[in-house]
Amino acid sequence: MVAGEKVLQMIGISPLTAKKIKRFRSIRRGYWSLVVFALLVFLSLFAELLVNNRAIVVSYNGRLYFPTYGNMIPGSVFGLDYEYETNYRQLAKKFRAEQDGNWIVMPPVPYGPYENDLSAGRYPPTPPSFSQKHYLGTDTSGRDVLARLVYGFRTAILFSLALLAITYVTGIIIGCAMGYWGGLFDLLLQRIIEVWSNIPVLYVIIIISSLLVPSFVILLVIMACFGWVSRTWIMRTVTYKEREREYVLAARALGASDLRIVLSHIIPNTVSIIITFVPFSIAEGIIALTSLDYLGFGLPPPTPSWGELLHQGWTNMDAWWIVCSVVVALVLTLTLVTFIGEAIREAFDPKMHTTYE
Amino acid sequence: MTGTDNRNTDGNTPLLAIRDLVVSFATDEGQRIRAIDGVCLDVKPGEILGIVGESGCGKSVTALSVMRLLPKPAGRIESGRIIFDNIDLAKLAPNRMRAYRGSRISMIFQEPMTALNPVHTVGRQLVEAVLLHKKNIGKKEAMSIAVEMLEMVGIPEPGRRMGEYPHQLSGGMRQRIMIAMALSCGPDLLIADEPTTALDVTVQAQILELIKRMQAGTGMSVIMITHDLGVIAETSSRVCVMYAGRIVETADVKTLFSSPAHPYTRGLLASIPRLGTRRKTRLPVIPGVVPSLSDLPPGCRFQNRCDRVMDICRSVPPEPTVVGTGHTAACHAIGM
Ligand SMILES: Nc1ncnc2c1ncn2[C@@H]1O[C@H](COP(=O)(O)OP(=O)(O)O)[C@@H](O)[C@H]1O
Ligand SMILES: [Mg+2]
Repeated sequence: MVAGEKVLQMIGISPLTAKKIKRFRSIRRGYWSLVVFALLVFLSLFAELLVNNRAIVVSYNGRLYFPTYGNMIPGSVFGLDYEYETNYRQLAKKFRAEQDGNWIVMPPVPYGPYENDLSAGRYPPTPPSFSQKHYLGTDTSGRDVLARLVYGFRTAILFSLALLAITYVTGIIIGCAMGYWGGLFDLLLQRIIEVWSNIPVLYVIIIISSLLVPSFVILLVIMACFGWVSRTWIMRTVTYKEREREYVLAARALGASDLRIVLSHIIPNTVSIIITFVPFSIAEGIIALTSLDYLGFGLPPPTPSWGELLHQGWTNMDAWWIVCSVVVALVLTLTLVTFIGEAIREAFDPKMHTTYE
Repeated sequence: MTGTDNRNTDGNTPLLAIRDLVVSFATDEGQRIRAIDGVCLDVKPGEILGIVGESGCGKSVTALSVMRLLPKPAGRIESGRIIFDNIDLAKLAPNRMRAYRGSRISMIFQEPMTALNPVHTVGRQLVEAVLLHKKNIGKKEAMSIAVEMLEMVGIPEPGRRMGEYPHQLSGGMRQRIMIAMALSCGPDLLIADEPTTALDVTVQAQILELIKRMQAGTGMSVIMITHDLGVIAETSSRVCVMYAGRIVETADVKTLFSSPAHPYTRGLLASIPRLGTRRKTRLPVIPGVVPSLSDLPPGCRFQNRCDRVMDICRSVPPEPTVVGTGHTAACHAIGM
């Protein structure tokens, strides 16, 4: 523990922060939620290796192929009679039948998120089947539900994180400026924000998505345009409080410029407050994207998305596996994020620092 | 106004001359109250000037006005001049004023516990202070200056302390570090606003000793602000006594303690415990309370607590009157 603190201190983390981290780690539920969540996010970044219709490795006539990333490999390369992309699941069956020493390693879930698997000759949606390796069944167009879930998770997380980054950077800059300089600038921006936050975001998105197909970036920009407000508000309040602290006065008495005071004194001191909002913002981002997709105003099909799955499941209650999978996934993710958020809040709570014994 | 010209009789040009300074604050009711109302004082090169007065009398506001660090937008310099080295600081543009802070005029504060940034190491803050005004030196050089400064203010193992955080240090240590930061660019004037009020008695004496030593070493001027006449006796050569936003008496320390002219000063001196007094006797305390700045009586501000109050005191505010060499007091009773 002591050694760990030394290391933290060496990379520029103050003992106070180290203490907070230590306290966070001691809140088991939050800590393990973070571990699991981080692992899920990490794995989802390599989803192509885990959930994909492309093989991980193909050994054909003594040569190794790695089809996962990069251009598609036509069937003819592996001695098949077509020029379109190899069907690796069939190729695997063929290799097994031929016993020629060729082999193939498929991902654990051998289906892609865009792929309609109609080969079984059954009418989708099909229920979960281990023999088909459709562990959570297929959706109404025969796409693997698990594959859609995994890629949908990645989309939602990346969206959420990007939104987080944009809104926090904007919010911190504007909020800090408002809180630090105050006065007319603050007053003016307050009014602008009040007007701005009364614009119904959903209508704006509906209008825009009726004019053009919202891409990931467009949706992100729209959401960011409205999301910065609450961050700004928090930052403004925190800066106001921090600005009154004596060390700011002391720094100014030494001749520090406003910019230096904001960057090197105020912002570092507000990080521990801002950070407690991060997990909740991530959850918000996921929920926002999911609901937009559910309503059909989100990312265009066939982008894998939880909202779209939820909508499918809702309208096809017979195919219970769809709605069950996505609801469980959603609840699980949001629970993890909430546990993390609670633990961070508890660990970083300034009330916790003073204890009288 | 009559007092201003009598002040500087020995021909020694002051380093800092405050003339008729008026500072007002906006109250919640929308009025403006005058926290400082016509303050005049001189700080000569190389002297330690004490400013003493009860809490709330405007000592900090005076200091912050010199630094031009009044809390905005509530506080504002209404009128008056703050002449430092022939420049009127009261009218200086903000960015030019910044060049003065820390390099020519420094300030240390009452609360060493909160005057250092908790998230940065002591070393980082010291180096920052050095680099703020010495743009042409490298980080390495700044580091060695910082260590030197720490050594000078009497911090053992300065190299190790550089890597520590404020909360790892005692109050006395932190005040020493604040002093090191304030003096790192060799200012001509140090304003110490109750530098020992938050410290233990033994540490207080050490810090005062340090300030005196640094002053003697560098020849800078010091404004020592305190509510404690004991601190004044120990450090200052001259004293200004403040009451309700005005300076009521100015004298050198010996004169002030031996023959105070203003009834308020006499009251203050009488309330200091002395060796030899029996424990049971209660200290004489000045009766009454300081009038509220928003509801000042016409005439003398001390009238409601004064034992020598006269009719004139209730209508005409007293002007500073010369009592002796370098000794002025604002009281109608003088010379009567
Ligand atoms: N930030 C402020 N807002 C409003 N009034 C203030 C503020 N700071 C000081 N004042 C007024 O100025 C008076 C003098 O304060 P100050 O100089 O801090 O006293 P002290 O002599 O104890 O240092 C106070 O009594 C108060 O009325
Ligand atoms: Mg004060």
